[in-house]
Amino acid sequence: MKLRLMSLALLLLAAAVSAPALAVAIGEPAPDFTLTDSNGKTRSLSEYRGKVVVLEWNNPGCPFVHKHYESGNIPKQQAEATAAGVVWLTINSGADGKQGHVDGARANAFLAQYGAKPTAYLLDPNGKVGHLYGARTTPHMFVIDSAGTLRYMGGIDSIASTDKEDIAKATQYVPQALSEIKAGKTVSVTTSLPYGCGVKYDS
Amino acid sequence: MARTIFIALAAMPAFAIAAKPPADAALEHVNVSLVAESSALVPGTAAWVGLRLRHEAHWHTYWVNPGDAGLPTKLAWQLPPGYRAGEIAWPAPKRFDVGGLYNFGYDGEVLLPVRIDVPADAKPGSRAKFAVEAKWLVCHEECVPGKTALAITLPVAAHATKNPRFASLFATSFALAPQPATWTGVATLAGDRVIVELDGAGLPATAALQVFPVQPRVVGYAPPRTEARDDALVLIFAKSDYYTSPPQTFDLVLRPDDLHAFGVAVPFHADPSAASNR
Repeated sequence: MKLRLMSLALLLLAAAVSAPALAVAIGEPAPDFTLTDSNGKTRSLSEYRGKVVVLEWNNPGCPFVHKHYESGNIPKQQAEATAAGVVWLTINSGADGKQGHVDGARANAFLAQYGAKPTAYLLDPNGKVGHLYGARTTPHMFVIDSAGTLRYMGGIDSIASTDKEDIAKATQYVPQALSEIKAGKTVSVTTSLPYGCGVKYDS
Repeated sequence: MARTIFIALAAMPAFAIAAKPPADAALEHVNVSLVAESSALVPGTAAWVGLRLRHEAHWHTYWVNPGDAGLPTKLAWQLPPGYRAGEIAWPAPKRFDVGGLYNFGYDGEVLLPVRIDVPADAKPGSRAKFAVEAKWLVCHEECVPGKTALAITLPVAAHATKNPRFASLFATSFALAPQPATWTGVATLAGDRVIVELDGAGLPATAALQVFPVQPRVVGYAPPRTEARDDALVLIFAKSDYYTSPPQTFDLVLRPDDLHAFGVAVPFHADPSAASNR
């Protein structure tokens, strides 16, 4: 019973220590942000209120990102989502000087290479928005509903690998969440383990 | 990306079983080979082989739980009938701080050992070939996936001797294989934190202690705060952003130094009020 007694003391202690700021949570409002896109335009999350928004963390040189662009998986998801009125924001939080960091021109060249058409490619070189959302891998996905509530966060799909052959066997969580939101259903998978390269934040 | 190395094995001596380095240059940032602990396979016993990873400076590969990013190294075996390969006996990893994200894995040289059960009816004088497809992700800042096919062939014999060339490599890896600890303990979810208390004889000092959670989606991967209290060791983690349900038990690997590692599994209480109501 010694352990239980100690538990109580520790819980009090833990409560006294300020809790770490949790990034974001399912069912909570998705925090607003403002970033410059690859064409120099200022974009804010709040300007898309009333629409469903997908956030996708990106690093053009990451093999996990390659897997989902070379296969056409992410460009296809982007095209289907935007055709249905969903806003798709691709975000790069790679710090200047780190692998995967891009400027606007390189971001646009990357999108053109794969025929990818997100609504915008946002540049977050100081990692502000990445840290705000707790983005830790590329890709790392978030789905926000038209009321601004976070409905999904996690991996692009259910099989953590760099193999394109796995895509067909995997559950694609973002299209699943988008169709459930569109149908007015509860999102069946609200979180999954994000997998990929680490986001290259400034250390 | 797939690169295949065939390790041609001369008939004898049996010790000549290491991968020859020539194809190594083709593997980016890590040199991967398959090695055996002993000279021969003894019928009805366990033999140990291992994937030897020699990393380029500053590059690392991953543990079974890779942490915030990355992928664990994976092995798929093809063995003769009657032989069975176990899972990788993961040595305790290191923690890499990558811009505030934490990865668990290995740099420098490491051996990932695998136990192979030799069938009792294996015939002395015959030979057995073990083939494996290894997949890994090696990262520094950039990440490069790797894949290769490796094989070794070993003789079956009544007796085996340790291969002196790899003895220290296996010994180092086995020393860091988590030994089951006798401590009792409990993990409690308390708000945004998970508090683990361990109690018992021989708890490690907190100074150089490194702690690694085995399961994902329980705690954050920053080093926990460690405190020695009375006779107990207390580990305070942030709850994982991806926590959804309590694990049956919460499994931890404790690495007090570079020569020892302990494994402990503690019950997990998701509802602290249940404990305090007693």
